[in-house]
Amino acid sequence: MASVTLRGLNKTFEGAAQAAVRDVSLEVRDGELLVLLGPSGCGKTTVLRCIAGLEDPTAGEVLIGDRVVTDLPPGERDVAMVFQSYALYPHLTVRENIAFALEARGVATREIARRVAETAARLELGDLLDRRPEQLSGGQRQRVALARAIVRAPLLFLFDEPLSNLDAPLRIELRAELLALHRALRTTMVYVTHDQVEAMTMGQRIAVLHEGRLRQVGTPADVYERPADIFVARLVGSPGMNVLEGRGRGRGDEGRVVEAGSLVVPVALAEYEGQLFLGVRPEHVGLCAVDQGVGNADVLVVEPRGNETIVHLNVAGQALVARLPGLMDVQLGTRVGVKLDRRRLHLFDAAGIRIA
Amino acid sequence: MIGDRRWVLTATAVGVAGGIAATALAVSRWQEGRFERAAALRIAATTAAYLAVVVPAASDSTDFDLSKLLVQARALTTLPGRTSAVEVYHGTAPLVDATAPPLPAAALATLRREAGGGWRDGRALMPLVDPACQEVIGAVAIGPARTGAAALLLRWALPAGVLAVLVAAGAVAGRRPLRQYTVAALLVGVAAYADVRGAARRATDRWLVETRLLLQEAATRLPTPRARVALGDLAPLVGTAALVAADSAGPAPDRLRVAGRRYAVVAARLGAGRWVQVRTEADEGFTTGWLVLLVGLALSGPLALRGLRWVEQAARRRQELRETAAAWGFLAPAALHLALFSFGPMVFALYLSLRGSGTAARPSIGLGNFAAHLRDPLAWVALRNTVLYALYVPVSVALALVVALVLNHAGGGVGGRRARRAARLLRAAFLLPYVASVVAVALLWQWMYHPDFGLLNYLLSFGGVGPHDWLGSSRTALIAVMLLSIWAQVGYQIAVLLAGLENIPRAYVDAARVDGATAWRRFRRITWPLLRPVTLFVLVTGIIGAFQVFTYVHVLTRGGPLHATDVAVHRIYQTAWELQQFGPASALSLCLFLILFGATWAQFRLLGRRVEYA
Repeated sequence: MASVTLRGLNKTFEGAAQAAVRDVSLEVRDGELLVLLGPSGCGKTTVLRCIAGLEDPTAGEVLIGDRVVTDLPPGERDVAMVFQSYALYPHLTVRENIAFALEARGVATREIARRVAETAARLELGDLLDRRPEQLSGGQRQRVALARAIVRAPLLFLFDEPLSNLDAPLRIELRAELLALHRALRTTMVYVTHDQVEAMTMGQRIAVLHEGRLRQVGTPADVYERPADIFVARLVGSPGMNVLEGRGRGRGDEGRVVEAGSLVVPVALAEYEGQLFLGVRPEHVGLCAVDQGVGNADVLVVEPRGNETIVHLNVAGQALVARLPGLMDVQLGTRVGVKLDRRRLHLFDAAGIRIA
Repeated sequence: MIGDRRWVLTATAVGVAGGIAATALAVSRWQEGRFERAAALRIAATTAAYLAVVVPAASDSTDFDLSKLLVQARALTTLPGRTSAVEVYHGTAPLVDATAPPLPAAALATLRREAGGGWRDGRALMPLVDPACQEVIGAVAIGPARTGAAALLLRWALPAGVLAVLVAAGAVAGRRPLRQYTVAALLVGVAAYADVRGAARRATDRWLVETRLLLQEAATRLPTPRARVALGDLAPLVGTAALVAADSAGPAPDRLRVAGRRYAVVAARLGAGRWVQVRTEADEGFTTGWLVLLVGLALSGPLALRGLRWVEQAARRRQELRETAAAWGFLAPAALHLALFSFGPMVFALYLSLRGSGTAARPSIGLGNFAAHLRDPLAWVALRNTVLYALYVPVSVALALVVALVLNHAGGGVGGRRARRAARLLRAAFLLPYVASVVAVALLWQWMYHPDFGLLNYLLSFGGVGPHDWLGSSRTALIAVMLLSIWAQVGYQIAVLLAGLENIPRAYVDAARVDGATAWRRFRRITWPLLRPVTLFVLVTGIIGAFQVFTYVHVLTRGGPLHATDVAVHRIYQTAWELQQFGPASALSLCLFLILFGATWAQFRLLGRRVEYA
């Protein structure tokens, strides 16, 4: 078990105009499950491959434990990686796939057999050991890929979107299994995903990447409740946070307000003049009678979901999504008043960085 | 409704079976006629030769002594045991039956013009040639054998045909109908063949019987002292057959195996204690091809019935029928092309391989070509050379694999941009010889190998190695051709292997790297097995190509020196086009095809067991 430290990691691919990873510094604590979250093309897989040693960083250092491994080949870093495509060797049986890394390390045959059997039992693969990958279902392949990683008992696990090729119910099932595995093994894991639900449910901490830069590192609650910028705010949550463009202004004794579209929202802001962004999560938006709230809006779309109702609103040209508990009877095309939970407002400056 | 359909089906089955049985019958009847005509022609030739031997020339001219000819011709009809009607014409005048119509002048003119006789008014006509000046002065006509038409119909094929029709009728109703009908059809085919074979045998026998009579008669009528009749005097009577001294025997023709070949023989008595044997190749020995043909024809009945059933079943699933028809519609252009230009020539080669060497009068000589091929040492030399030559393929593939791995490594982003560009350039350079004209490449290498001003000898001269005639020496010629082949083929193999390498998902190699496998282990356990289908493809196509090598050899060495580079296709080419022996050439081609087929099959079995199509 070990921590992972990235120091000023940069990676520019040959012939590429832009860097894939820029100045990423990050520490993954010993035994932690850290999720690298970001949209596709944000550089999260490249960061993972730099940790594995499959890519050489253009600049910066990678440390596993106290050891600088930047120039070590992947095989000497004692990490195990689960690939998005699983990369199960198609010409080898499940048993041979699991044993491959041990054989490559020169482990004694008897020891290999023991450990393969033990791992197979743990992941309920006992009956499948003599099959080829092509004869397995998606979930079984995923389990074999996991088995191949854990049989080595490495310092560090790297997961590259391991659940993205599975259908939804299986994904939820395997997510739970992975968490259970992490609890049992207590090994450091770095988990890459573009799915914010996966990130929220699995990560002890989440590192959000965007365009090669690290935007925020924190617990799921941190990232959800105090997003560092507009990008993180919109990425996390389903639906993401509403972000309204507006202006901050004083208004006599009533304190300061933000005018966003047709809304006039009182805020507790010491001093801020000019353009800013007002963020509010859909669940903190409420509906009321016309002129009773901070402003009025037109109902565009209503999505009844049973346990909640999603209402898409138009606030003088800006989109606002409300998430109301239970089934609400909201008529399309009507005009409604809007309430916002004042304690749960997020303010971002013109550059999109959080100010309050 | 169902009953109606059954009736229609039964009627169709009977129609098909009857038609095919009738065709088989007609084929055997036709062959019978052919053999009979051939026998009549042969008898006519023998008779003409007999007359030429026994009738002395007239004292005042080169013609026969007409009175003697008349006597001898009339005497022919009185000869006991003769089976065929005979007529002898002097000029156009009939001698035997003076009241018969004369021979038309046109027929005589035709005989004069064309050697080999002809067929006119249901009789075989052979020219009567004056022995002194080799001029056609008349003709001998022989009628067909006197056999009744009823006897013909009641031999094997007719009863078998009737049986097949009955079985086909019952087949529609009965259980396991197709099997029954197939057996019956097989019977028809074999029966029809038995008829053909029987006819051939009878034709040979008929000639032998007549020739025996004429030989014995000639021995008594020769003007020279009877005791001194020489075999050479009688030889013209038997034509292409052999006449050998022998022991006494009965008058019936027999079959005899001499030096591995079957002959039809008959014994003739020339005088007291003097016996000869007429030995000719039995016609029935050349009918093997008809067995295949007739059995195939007969079996087309059950096949048609099977097709009929399928149509009937498919008609119930109209949609399926329509789809099948549409599929065949789409397949038709390709299928037609394949049939015309691939299968057609193959069948034709098969046919040729069973025939003689193009000029032979024989309809077919069966498997004799293959046997002759097996005995021909040059064919074996060619085969050995081809196998040796094909050894260049594994060497070339191994070389190509190494280069492909290096290029893949350099081009895969491990090296810099410069390395990638170099890899691309090298790849194109390696491919150049493959896309260049084969003849041009061969000529280029001919210059490189030139003993006096070749590049190779020039380079070797720096090492103090004396000039060597690479293509002129039987020790190095084949190796020289192999080297050139490696140079020409390796680029193509590299290109294919590179494509294969690039097709292997990178994740496998990445996973192996993370798993800690060394470069060698990654190659041996991951890359190599995953590349195996591509390697197999390159190897198999390469070996097939090597077995078909022709141009390099033809341009560089023409199979020489001392057959050192004589490969199979070159041997075929020489046999067919320079020796004009298409039958043996086709037989050799088929042998080559069988070898290649076997080799390919074996390779797929050996290497393909764990082929991964990743």
